[in-house]
Amino acid sequence: MKKLLIASVICALAVSAGAQAKFAWIDPVSDDADKILPGVDPTKVTGTVVTAGSSTVFPLSEAIVERLVKEGFTGQITIDSIGSGAGFERFCVSGETDVSNASSKIKQTQIDAAAKLSPPRVPLEFRVGTDALAVVVSTKNKFITDATDKELALIFSTAAFWSDVRPTWPKKEIRRFSPGTDSGTFEYFVEHIFKKDKKPLLSAKNLQLSEDDNVLVRGIAGDENAIGYFGFAYYLENKGKLRAVNVNGVEPNQASVDANKYPLARPLFLYSDARIIAEKPQVAAYLTYYLTYVNEVIKKVGYFPAPADGMKKTKQLLADAMKGRF
Amino acid sequence: MKRRSFRSPISVESAGYHEERTGFITLARRARPGETLVEAFLLFCAAISIFTTLGIVATLGRESLSFFREVSFIEFFTGRVWQPAIGEFGILPLLTATLATSFYAMLVALPLGLVVAIYLSEYAPFGVREVLKPVLEVLAGVPTVVYGYFALTTVTPFLQGILGQDRVEVYNTLSAGLVMGILILPLVASMCEDALSAVPAALREGAYAMGATKLETSVKIVVPSAFSGLAAAFILALSRAVGETMIVALAAGAGPNLTLNPFRSAETMTGHIVRISGGDLSYDSIDYRSLFAIALLLFLVTLALNILSRKIIRRYREVYE
Repeated sequence: MKKLLIASVICALAVSAGAQAKFAWIDPVSDDADKILPGVDPTKVTGTVVTAGSSTVFPLSEAIVERLVKEGFTGQITIDSIGSGAGFERFCVSGETDVSNASSKIKQTQIDAAAKLSPPRVPLEFRVGTDALAVVVSTKNKFITDATDKELALIFSTAAFWSDVRPTWPKKEIRRFSPGTDSGTFEYFVEHIFKKDKKPLLSAKNLQLSEDDNVLVRGIAGDENAIGYFGFAYYLENKGKLRAVNVNGVEPNQASVDANKYPLARPLFLYSDARIIAEKPQVAAYLTYYLTYVNEVIKKVGYFPAPADGMKKTKQLLADAMKGRF
Repeated sequence: MKRRSFRSPISVESAGYHEERTGFITLARRARPGETLVEAFLLFCAAISIFTTLGIVATLGRESLSFFREVSFIEFFTGRVWQPAIGEFGILPLLTATLATSFYAMLVALPLGLVVAIYLSEYAPFGVREVLKPVLEVLAGVPTVVYGYFALTTVTPFLQGILGQDRVEVYNTLSAGLVMGILILPLVASMCEDALSAVPAALREGAYAMGATKLETSVKIVVPSAFSGLAAAFILALSRAVGETMIVALAAGAGPNLTLNPFRSAETMTGHIVRISGGDLSYDSIDYRSLFAIALLLFLVTLALNILSRKIIRRYREVYE
């Protein structure tokens, strides 16, 4: 009996030792600027990676996967754009996904839910960048260059004329444009400007809401009395027609976002779990690849890179989860 | 085929007397399995559209019913704000926008359509009509999304150029309505033309005999005679305008707005359905079910208009010998 037990223990050790072997996808040449993560050979990555979550992170993940496929990856990566909350639901409660995309930090209740899964999950946080909301007006608009968040609250709710907000502004009607109520951008704006109360914004007159950012861009660009907000990416794409308004005197740019000075900026995260990373080499490869190249694609997508020292810590976190495997 | 026409009309074969040889005469039709099959297939095809309609009505009814359990009829029809995310369900802003855009569309389509129809039916020489009619039909074949962008990128800037950017918003009901009028113009023209052509030549000749000019004949004799057909055409055009989606979704505006100012933006019922179903709205929420209530109202409006147009045809139809 004892012998059998010992034999099985040896067997188990052997299996776990096997699991501890180096990842098959390791590439001797690493492109990681911080020299923390190993290189990834996309042609040697097999299997599927299931990810879901924020629609804001979606274009970034999409760009990463596109690049991965271009370099010879033949497996499958799904990215569902369902919102951060729904993404955590799938990662922490139903445990369906390998990676959760989020534009807000994970909540304690979600961490607790993940701990109750079997096997339990301990969410690891990888910050991949920052999205800043741009408050924009048409380039035809000459009077507004900055606004405080209190003024923004007035502009996007009860004020009828610009002069109601600041007497020096003209007595012209404010025409408002906002992303639709289902979008994370709307939620984020309402959370920051109106303390999560949707009512003031949605009760405002002359309000147009659209999930299609191009509808907003067109509406704002063509009207000097219009104002709106959306992700910084869309502002960059339409820089010729639109002008970003400074919020609380801070211009949205890399420096102000890095210094946490710009009030309407939010971090973008990926969440995964050490056990998943250890058991699924393709997830480890995906995350390694993501963190190695994210700064090369993030500007094209229209977001700001994460602060440099934070990025080093994030990479170290992933390297620790893959300890002994590269 | 040619040979058959030379045959005697009392051909034995053609009258179903094949049983003669056995001594019986049956007047019953010979069973033809192929024909039965084809008939069944045709019936099936006709039934598909009926069942589709029934299915749509059932879905609309079921979802709207659960919507009206939560929102009262009174609130739905008298509320002045439509903003599902904060529990405001007053259909008025959407309804007025739909009626406004349809009204502007009719302002364009009715007079123009009638004039085009009178020209085609009474004045145009044969050759001109043969060219004009297909051209009009091409206009009807242009995808509505193209019309939508035409309204947004051509008509609106034009209106802004004339009336000033302060007055005319980038999205406004007028430009959407005007372009929608152009969209339904061919429909109106072609249905009116059919109605006018159906007026017998004897009436025109009678008018000429009394010394009426061509214009008098057209306007005072032919048009009143074709009244039922014209009215039906107008109402069908109106129901088309009420249901039109893409143009208003693109050009009229993306926010419910209770206004009758043609230069302001306002969202129509169809435009709202398009915009909201484009977002990731969760099923089984009241916002989702509210879309079905709007759709049901839309369905009832167009149904009522169609029934009205049939009634008018029947009621005012003048039968000529």
